[in-house]
This record gives sequence, C-alpha cells and structure tokens, in this order.
Amino acid sequence: MQQTLAVDEAPPFKPRRRIGRPAFGTLLFLLYIFLLAPLLIVFVIAFESNQYLSFPPQGFTLKWFEMLPSESIFVDGMKVTLVVAASVTVIVLAIGVPAALALDRYEFKGKGALHAFFLSPLLVPSIVLALGLVLILTPLGLTNTYEGIIIGHVAITFPFVVRTTLMSLTTADTSCEAAARILGAGAWTVFRRITLPLIRSGVIAGGIIAFIVSFDEAVISLFVAGSGLPTLPVQIFQYVSNSADAAVAALSVVLILISLGVVVVVERVMGLRKAL
Amino acid sequence: MTVLPQLAPLRKVNPVNSANTVGSSKLSIVDLTKRYAPGLEPAVDRLCMDVEEGHLVALLGPSGCGKTTTLRMVAGLMDPTAGSIVVDGKDITQTPVNKRGMGMVFQSYALFPHMDVAQNVAFGLQMRKVPSGEQAKRVNAALEMVKLAHLSKRKVRELSGGQQQRIALARALVVEPTLLLLDEPLSNLDAKLRETMRSEIRSIQQRTKATTLFVTHDQDEALDMADRIAVMNGGLIEQYDTPAMVYERPTTRFVADFIGQANFLTAQVLSENGQAADGERYYKVEVGGLGRYSAVGAPGLAGSSREIVIRPHRLRASLHPRPGDDAIAGTIERVSYTGDTIAFAVRVGDRRLLAQSMTSSADMPRTGDAAYLSWEAADAFLLPGHIRGSGT
Amino acid sequence: MTAPTETQQLMSVRAGVLPGALEKAKAARDRRTYLLLLLPAILGLFATFLLPLGYMVKMSFDRGAPDGVIESAFTLDSYVRALSDPYYWQVIWNTFQMGIIVGVLCVLVSYPIALFLVRTRSRFRGLLMAVAVAPLLTSAIVRTYGWMVILGSNGLVNSSLHSMGLIDAPLKLTNNMTGVEIGLVEIFMPYAILTMVSGFGRLSSQLEEAAGSLGANGFQVFARITLPLSLPGVLASFLMVFVLTISTFVTPTLLGGGTVQVLATEIYDQTTGVLNWPFAAALSVILLALFGAIIAVYQRLTRKIGG
Repeated sequence: MQQTLAVDEAPPFKPRRRIGRPAFGTLLFLLYIFLLAPLLIVFVIAFESNQYLSFPPQGFTLKWFEMLPSESIFVDGMKVTLVVAASVTVIVLAIGVPAALALDRYEFKGKGALHAFFLSPLLVPSIVLALGLVLILTPLGLTNTYEGIIIGHVAITFPFVVRTTLMSLTTADTSCEAAARILGAGAWTVFRRITLPLIRSGVIAGGIIAFIVSFDEAVISLFVAGSGLPTLPVQIFQYVSNSADAAVAALSVVLILISLGVVVVVERVMGLRKAL
Repeated sequence: MTVLPQLAPLRKVNPVNSANTVGSSKLSIVDLTKRYAPGLEPAVDRLCMDVEEGHLVALLGPSGCGKTTTLRMVAGLMDPTAGSIVVDGKDITQTPVNKRGMGMVFQSYALFPHMDVAQNVAFGLQMRKVPSGEQAKRVNAALEMVKLAHLSKRKVRELSGGQQQRIALARALVVEPTLLLLDEPLSNLDAKLRETMRSEIRSIQQRTKATTLFVTHDQDEALDMADRIAVMNGGLIEQYDTPAMVYERPTTRFVADFIGQANFLTAQVLSENGQAADGERYYKVEVGGLGRYSAVGAPGLAGSSREIVIRPHRLRASLHPRPGDDAIAGTIERVSYTGDTIAFAVRVGDRRLLAQSMTSSADMPRTGDAAYLSWEAADAFLLPGHIRGSGT
Repeated sequence: MTAPTETQQLMSVRAGVLPGALEKAKAARDRRTYLLLLLPAILGLFATFLLPLGYMVKMSFDRGAPDGVIESAFTLDSYVRALSDPYYWQVIWNTFQMGIIVGVLCVLVSYPIALFLVRTRSRFRGLLMAVAVAPLLTSAIVRTYGWMVILGSNGLVNSSLHSMGLIDAPLKLTNNMTGVEIGLVEIFMPYAILTMVSGFGRLSSQLEEAAGSLGANGFQVFARITLPLSLPGVLASFLMVFVLTISTFVTPTLLGGGTVQVLATEIYDQTTGVLNWPFAAALSVILLALFGAIIAVYQRLTRKIGG
C-alpha cells in the first residue's frame, strides 16, 4: 500500500508503468501484425513460386505478374474499373463541391437535415442500395452498362467529397473572400481565384477517395453489371470464389500498390485521418 | 439616442474644427441601422457620423457595441436594415462591395495564402484591369511604402505577423481606395510590435491622406492614432470627438469609464463659483458625506445632482493635506508599484478611490496609513448628463 | 455646398430605400445562389439513392413468383414468409450474432491501438496512424483473399501448427462462421480505430497522471479514469462495426464458402439465384430495420452516458 509519506517522491504509478510498457508494446506490435496480416501474406504469395503457401517460402518468382497482361479478364476488368472510377470522380466532384459550398457559406432552414441526407449513403448497406439500383436500372436497360455502374457509384462516393470539401471550407479564412470582393472581384472571380485554391486540398482528397472507393467497389458493380460488364473487383470476386491461384495475389499486389500510392497522396494533401 | 458631441471648445484641448461639420465630409453615415433579426435589439441603432477627408476616425468600444457591424456595412460586406452611407456626396448604400473601391485590412490580414506577396498586392489592380506594366510599378511603390519591396516574391506564410500586416496595408492602399477600412488590424500582434505598427500605420495614412475608418477595442490605439474617436456602446455613439476631448471631457459615464481609469463621485452642485477657461464654470459641490469641494463643468449646472470624474493621475495622495487644497481623508488600502507609476487604492468611507503618482516622494504614504487625496478644481469634471435616466 | 442642401440630399436618399429592403434583396439573391448550388447534388442523390431505395421498399410489397415474375400488388406476403419461416429467423439471428461478435472483438483489438495513438507523443505517431487506417483504402476483397490464404486448410496457420506438431488434422478455419468473423474483425479494425481516436477527445494523459499522483495504481487509473472517458468512443465504434458487419456481403460469401447464411448473402441469392425480387426487397427492409433498431438503442445508451 502507498503511504502518504511517499508523497514527495515520484508519483507511485510511474514504476509500474515502466514494467507495463514493454508488455503493452508487444501487444501493439501483435495487433499491428494482425491488422496488416492479409496484405503482407498477399505480397508473399505473389512472389512465391509454389502454388500453395508454406513456410519458409519455397522460392521467388515473377511469373504470376508476367501472367497478368495476358489474362484478358483482368485487363478488361481493369479498363472498366478505371473508366467507371474516373467518370464517377468527375461527376461527384461536380455536384459535391457546389453542395458543400452551399452548406458552408449560406444559412438556410433545414441545413442540418440536408447535411445528414448528404452523408446518409454511408449508412445504408451497399447490398440494399445495390438491389434498389437493379430494380430501377433494369427497366431502363442500364444494367450491364457503363452508365449503370457509374450511376450506382455516385451515391456511395458523394459523401466523401462533401465531407472533405466541407472540412477545407470550414478551415479556410472567409475574410480572404471578403478581401477579394472589396478589391473588386465579382462572385465567379472570387470562387475561381480565391475559394477554389483555398479548398484545393479538400477537393483533391475527396476526389481521390471517391476514385478509390469506386475503384474497390464490388457489391453494387456485381449486382448492376456482374454478368455483362464486370469490373476488376467483380472479376477478382468471381475468380476467388472459384479458385485461388497466385495470379490473384499478383493482381492484388498491383491493387494494393495503387491504393498505397493514393494513401501517400491523400496523407500529404490533407492528412488521411481527416479525409476518411 | 445619439449623444451630440460637445461643441464648446475647452481648455487643455487644441482648438480643432467641430467633428460633425457638414459640407466637407468624405463619408457621411446617416441613420444607419442594423437589426440581425426582427425583434432583436439593433446591433447598430440610427447611427449618424461624418468623417472629414484625410481623417483617421477610430470606432472604439467593447465587443458587441456595433463597431465592426458599422465597418462591414460601410465596406458593403453587410446590408444595413435602414439608413444610408454617402461617400463623396454619392449614396453608395446599394452599391455592391466590389464596386465601392474601398480598401480593407482584416484582423486576420486575409492575405491570399496561395499567392506570393506581389500577387497579393497586384490583385486589386488586376480587378481594375490596370495594364501590367503600370501594375508592376504600383505594386513596387506600395511595397516600398511599407518597406517590404525585397519580399515581393515571398510566400505569404513565410512572413511574420508584422510583415503580413504591412502587406495587407499595401494591398489595400495600392488601389488608391476611396476609404481605408481597418478592422482591429493590430490585435494579432504582440505588444511591442503593436506600438511600432501604430505609428507606422498612422504615418502612412497621413502621407497617403487616405480617409480611414479604424475599428478597435483598444483605447490607447484610438487615442494615439485617431483624429476623431467615436466611442460606441450598445449600437450607439456615446461620444464623437477628438481624442483629447474624449479623454478630458467625457460626455457620459460610459465614456469616462471605458477610456482610461476614472474615479466617480456623486455630488450635489451647490453654486457657481466663477468663470473657468473655455466657457466652463467652477462650482462648489457637496459630495455626499465627505464635505464641500470645487469642480468644473458646463454652465448652468447649479442646483442639480451630477457625477464628478477625476482621473487617478490627477488625484494626489499625501500624508499631510496642503493648505488651500481640496482634500478627502482616507486610508491607504494598497500601494502598487508598476515601475513608471505608483498607484494607491484609498478607502474613503464605503468608497474606494484610485490615485496615481509618477514618482515617490518623502510624503508618500504606505499601506495602512491615513492619507489625504487632493485635486485641483479644474481636474474634477462634472459630467453633463443627469445621473439617472439621463445621458444615453 | 451649404449644410442644408446636403442634409436635404441625404433626406431624399433615405426615403429611397425602405427599411429592410436591401436585406430582403440580398436574402433573395442568396437563396437563388444556394439553391442553384444544391440542386445538382439533390437531384443526383435523389436519382441514385432515394429513388432506388424507395423503389425497393415498394417492391417489397409486390408479389413475387419464383421464376422472376413480379406482380404489382400491395401485399405483406414476403414479410410474412420471411418472418414465419424458422430458416429466415435463423438467418436474421446469424446476422445479428455475427454483428455482435465481430463488433465486440473488433473493439477489443482496436482499443489498445487507438489508446496508444491518442496518448503517444512519439514522432512516429503520424506514420502509425496512417498505417492503422490505410487498409481502409485497400479492397476488402483483396484482404478477404489474404485471410483465405492464411486460414485455409493448407494455409499459413494450419501448416505452421502442423509443422510444429501441434495438430494432426487441419483446424477448420474457413468455410464457416469462425473464418468470416476473424476476417471481418481485421477488415473493420481501421474503422474502429478511426472512430475511437476521434471519440477519445476528452482523454488526456494529464488526467491519468493527475490520478496517478493522487495515489491511484495503474489498474485504478485505467478503471476509474481512462475507461469511463473512452466509453463514448468505444460505443460509437462498436455501433460502426456492427452496422458494417451486418451489411457486408463479400467476406461472408468468400470466407464462408457458401455455408454462412446471413441477410446479405440471402438477398444476393434471392436476387440472382431464385429471382424473387420482392422477397429480396423484403429482406433488405428487414436489414434496414435491424439497422434502425441498433441505432436507436445506441442513441438511448449515449444519452444515458451523457446524462
């Protein structure tokens, strides 16, 4: 028991901390390993000459990567995915940035509700939205088309653009816009020359996240265009459901590296934690 | 109700033109009112004010007094509920912000972070479609004026607070604005730098002869820099006058209290006691329970009840009363030494008065001493307003 | 110019603008601007989000025949079927149970990381934060695939245990609920960490040091200070993971290998296999109801904690 006499000395819990610290550090290390395990393992198999994993690894090979360009399903899937993700990004930025601007710079009734509505697609299971999309796209003949997948990805990517743009807007100094107006700039000039440059980081981060969410999306794409125009994630999903050879691992490595590049860019542009 | 500025010229004050001379004013604000929502107290209430060409006028008051709202309405950043703003005889109340041709320095400076110094300063010229050759010349001249021409290619965030503030000033002045508006421009600087910038802004303002409206809550700034001070409170101007008048001859208790320190004594004005300088009169007054003393004030106060204002540095605290002086006996509660001055808190009955002296003397009382407070009749000023339900 | 003329001029000027007129004009201009700015987004979300969901709810009241024929109707048939068949009760229960288990485990493994990230003053904090949330931006399919390799009967875990002589026959870690849950715990960890880090705002090491200096031991500091202060963040991240878990489709399908039946997989089967769209829609509405229920419970809980 601690005696009151010990008051002058270092706080009594400090020494115990010193014992606890290595244990806590070990725990953290193990948890990080757990968190990164599937990504690390994918890297190992992608370069592993043996079809099945065993430890220690049997040998190093690049043959799985060499296979990729000849696998037409992956190449086609990649094309679909890139076209969709790029289009979705452009559309969502075009409607999301003005919406964020209205939410931040104007006062009106029902603003809170509208804000919640704009973020609500994040709360709806994508399988539920996917089903609803199939129901309305089928009569329009838009299933298995680029348009269909793009329409399907708008709602799930939109909240990210609104969120990151709003974040930049709230931190940007509004008196810069006032200063520009006083100096003679009209509304459009203020937006183009002042506001847009000030919120650049949020817009870029939102666009990148929208791109990557669309790029990785599988469920809506599967429902809307799974049979006729599969995106890369859909191809991987179907491939993995049937067999699990290491070509998928190599492809996964490619996808991880793309994502990793995006992570680095977002982190540099506005900080990953704020953006997500 | 707007209190009219005191027109009578007074002693100790440089004779200057009265503040609201109509006819030669650069800016006239007429009955300007801003109500943020129906039913709310107006933030600015039927404010009237004239600013002379080339003057620097400070809008001074506590936060929420309506000074910033007034400035933003003049700038055009906010629409008034009623009233008008007239510049050079032209009503600009309905002119959009970007067509008013004003220059403004913001509290945050509001420099464009994505442009360098020269681009910032050039922005207003670009908006005016000034040819690029002339732009460069004028930008350079403006930067020389604030002594920062060597930093023209710097990024804004690489500059210190004081440098940013000068760039903001250059950016506002380069367009030769009809009015220069300054919104608490010094509040983000540290104390030393603030003093330097004060005199620098003032000298640039005087060189460019830019008519300037300056919002501040800092009375020292206003007293130091302004040609005229409008002391605001609750959306009204309490007093609009020269710094010296505002300090020496406050028209309301609020003004006396807000500008510097003040002792207030409630007195019954007994009788006139002769002619003082500048048309004022000396009076014999009775201060409740303390005795009879002399004070000074506007004519015609005899027989009324008024408040006396005495600045602490005009009150002398000493161990022995000097013969012939008015003096109040009290007990020294606290002596505080701040280097430049020595301040005394003196208990007089249930009142606590403040006295200040520049130097220590042999006659200086210590805490607990019985001491005497004395003043000259001309330093005890009777506020013109009645004590209750009067003034504002 | 003499004083009276200017005054008259000002008077006439004043008469020109009615009180409040400028503000009203500005408000009207502003309304036009923000409506214009909001319109594309509102229309866009209406067409791609509200319309599909509304259509789905409507569809859940239609009558479906097994061969994909849909009769327009207003009937509760699909709901009655879903809620009367013990099989679907089992599916709903599986979904709910999976959500709870994954939520609890995910919070448990994420808590130490979040606590560390909030408290540490290490210069690697930014990097460790980025590493913790970066998996969010990698495909869930890729990570599920990684878990299939780790947990499979010839996978990393089984072959390691076997070569160490600890097991004879491979442990069954895939194609069942266990595998799905392990995979989901990892997949949702970044969300849990992110939510907790944002929710731990009130936590400061100063409070803990203060408690320590008052004589509390390590456990007491944790139980009396750290845990209560972090509870709102913990609850929020549990809710987040629960909601994500019960709506996930990819991982239960791949790691479950067709043996794990939850609402999401059932909706898929009804849509693509059986082609009973009204029934799939009814299951979706039930899933949304489960969502709503847990969010309502969460709000009551947080209000209790907050009060």
